[in-house]
Amino acid sequence: MSEILGLKAKLGLDVFKHDSEPHIRIKAGMEKDPRLKKAVLVCPAGLYSLNDAGEVEFTIDGCLECGTCRLACGTEVLDWNYPTGGAGVQFRFG
Amino acid sequence: MNIVVALKQVPDLQQIRLRNRQPVLDDVPLTLGNIDKNALEAAVALKEAQGGNVIALSAGDENIEDTIKEALAAGADEAFLVADDQLQGAESSWIATVLAEAVKKIDQVDLLLFGEGSADNYSGQVGSRVAEILGWPQVAYAINIEVNGSTAAVTRSLEDCDEIVEVSLPAVITVLSDINEARIPSVTQILKAGKKPKEVLELDDLDVELPDGSPVETISNLAPDSQRKKVVVKTVDELLQALAAEGVIRR
Amino acid sequence: MEKFDVIVVGGGLAGLAAAYTLAQEDLEVLVLERGDYSGAKNVTGGRLYLNPVRDLFPDLWKKAPLERFIAHEEVAMMAEKRSVTIRYSGEELRQEPYQSYSVLRAKFDRWLAKQAERKGAMLVAKSRVDEVIIENGQVVGVRAGGDELHADVVIACDGALSLVAEQAGLRQPGNPHDFAVGFKEIIELDPAVIEDRFGLEGNEGAARLYMGEVTRGKFGGGFLYTNKESLSLGIVVGIKDLMDGSPQVQAPQLLDDLKQRPEVASLIRGGQTVEYSAHVIPEGGLKALTKLYGNGILVAGDAAGFSMNIGVTVRGMEYALASGYYAAQAVLKAREAGQYTANQLSVYELLLKDSFVMKDFQNFKDAPTALDNPRFFTVYPEMVTTMMSELYAVDDGPKERIYPTIKKHLTIREMWDMLGDFRKVRKL
Repeated sequence: MSEILGLKAKLGLDVFKHDSEPHIRIKAGMEKDPRLKKAVLVCPAGLYSLNDAGEVEFTIDGCLECGTCRLACGTEVLDWNYPTGGAGVQFRFG
Repeated sequence: MNIVVALKQVPDLQQIRLRNRQPVLDDVPLTLGNIDKNALEAAVALKEAQGGNVIALSAGDENIEDTIKEALAAGADEAFLVADDQLQGAESSWIATVLAEAVKKIDQVDLLLFGEGSADNYSGQVGSRVAEILGWPQVAYAINIEVNGSTAAVTRSLEDCDEIVEVSLPAVITVLSDINEARIPSVTQILKAGKKPKEVLELDDLDVELPDGSPVETISNLAPDSQRKKVVVKTVDELLQALAAEGVIRR
Repeated sequence: MEKFDVIVVGGGLAGLAAAYTLAQEDLEVLVLERGDYSGAKNVTGGRLYLNPVRDLFPDLWKKAPLERFIAHEEVAMMAEKRSVTIRYSGEELRQEPYQSYSVLRAKFDRWLAKQAERKGAMLVAKSRVDEVIIENGQVVGVRAGGDELHADVVIACDGALSLVAEQAGLRQPGNPHDFAVGFKEIIELDPAVIEDRFGLEGNEGAARLYMGEVTRGKFGGGFLYTNKESLSLGIVVGIKDLMDGSPQVQAPQLLDDLKQRPEVASLIRGGQTVEYSAHVIPEGGLKALTKLYGNGILVAGDAAGFSMNIGVTVRGMEYALASGYYAAQAVLKAREAGQYTANQLSVYELLLKDSFVMKDFQNFKDAPTALDNPRFFTVYPEMVTTMMSELYAVDDGPKERIYPTIKKHLTIREMWDMLGDFRKVRKL
């Protein structure tokens, strides 16, 4: 069987090009917003997590730019854009 | 002032994946080496400060006609290419011979810039070899270049000091990536790149005779072997013991 | 400031189809693609149905880098501990011209971009459009990396979220109910092994859908396509259902669980995962389509919502190619008329209505509601597989007669519910 890789290892297979700043940000003060908590469930790259303080934390590294969090959480809690040209994930198979 | 910048077409290193420790090069996009782009940026900055003409020079397979557009977009005024499929993967001494012959065909070259080494093989030889063939002085490890008439003051970054040397022109200067941050061309610059003048020669147009067979042969090109040890630990103590056994930490 | 006849935002299938068609008619077309190359940001399950679009681009297909033609259609109903797989192999699937092919977008789109460039389209990669320029209610161009670029028409082909159409006021950010998310692994395997495991001759391919337990009863399913030297294995699941919990599961877990199912594990054994990708998919059908045109702007492909899930097939790429083509035709007509108002560009919608694109969306307008029924993903797979289990069981006692076995599962109440479910499906 093609082994079960951890998500980090799986994302490590992809090509990511560096961007000068993160293209998705949690808006200030929205870390505990219930809408944001949906992201923990929907993100295929598992980039959102809930910490002990009940806040959602997010890391941009490994973002597949799929758009699911923008739809699930909305633009009131997320500052959402695509990475600048030539940055971000570059699929070799797609 | 005519500044020639030699650039090498290389596979986009970030796009290369490994299969059985071997690089897979199929379908990997081609680009220009990063340090080469720094050399180009240095030339364009000199031109912007003092006037002149920047010529992007490259030798490689026929794809370079397309790849060189990156240099034309990033500020080169024209391109001079030796595009010949015989040059695919050619070894440093051949490329040096071809580039030197090409430089002879360009009028009045004052400066010839290279990156310190290519992004793929990094033999670091081509600049020096070309200087030798042309009989020009060479300055390596450049992190700053100032041209004053018929000489240039070049700052070299050495291990524990910076050295400033003066060199008479024409000269070959090889640069380090620290010299600058290469600019990212805009859409309009990319579009204009296609319309800039390009002179494309084949090997037959040059006065060179390439030897049969290469003096340097690549025997193997393997990624470092990184095998998992597959040690399962259940407690922090076990982890510490395992790391100590590997010599990673000391108990 | 540069001025073009047309600026296409996004060098995927819709954008490239538009650019290819316009460049062929000698228009000055600029395609802006934010990836390193066309296809770098694109994901498909992936299968492309060629028949509906073959004639729109007659010269294109001979050398296209398609993977395998699909000769075997399979559906696996997955219950928690058992599954039933149906494999359909029809002679017509093995005859040229082949109906559908598995594809990998990074390869296919890069190739298509080259074909568009050969026709004269200008393609600039690594370039993100930051803003739409609107003057007096008319879209007149875009801003990209500090450059202001103008055109008679902008065609928004920037994918399922289409920030361009949003900025131009043609759509809202989108409702999670109208979208699914797909995520998949590319698993490399020796072609001979693929052909052996899936019973394929030469360049034949297989497509398998998994429904039921794989999405824990949520709207969606799993998919597996054979490529030349790899498998595309993934999950598509409704975003709304994922958000709602019940049962609560993190999306990536679904794919890991699918991989560990014995039915799947044996197919991917020894394979190397080489890529993990994900993308949202518009699945809202007709009612979720965006406004397709405005002053100086058209919307095509996923950006407009042209993708459809009708249960047994999920389609999008041929709608992208076709809508790009018809957007180009609309531009050509507008050019003849010498104006690019919304009124003039509305011909795009008429062209689509006359084509398979809108006819499909009209015919399957009830698909999202009919299929949005958790029973399809829980009750039926469980029922069918349990029935099979009992039909095949030989226990230590006497075997139960066959008819009562079936009847036990098909109570009057159950049949009544089924009737209700399938009455809705009848509309498809």
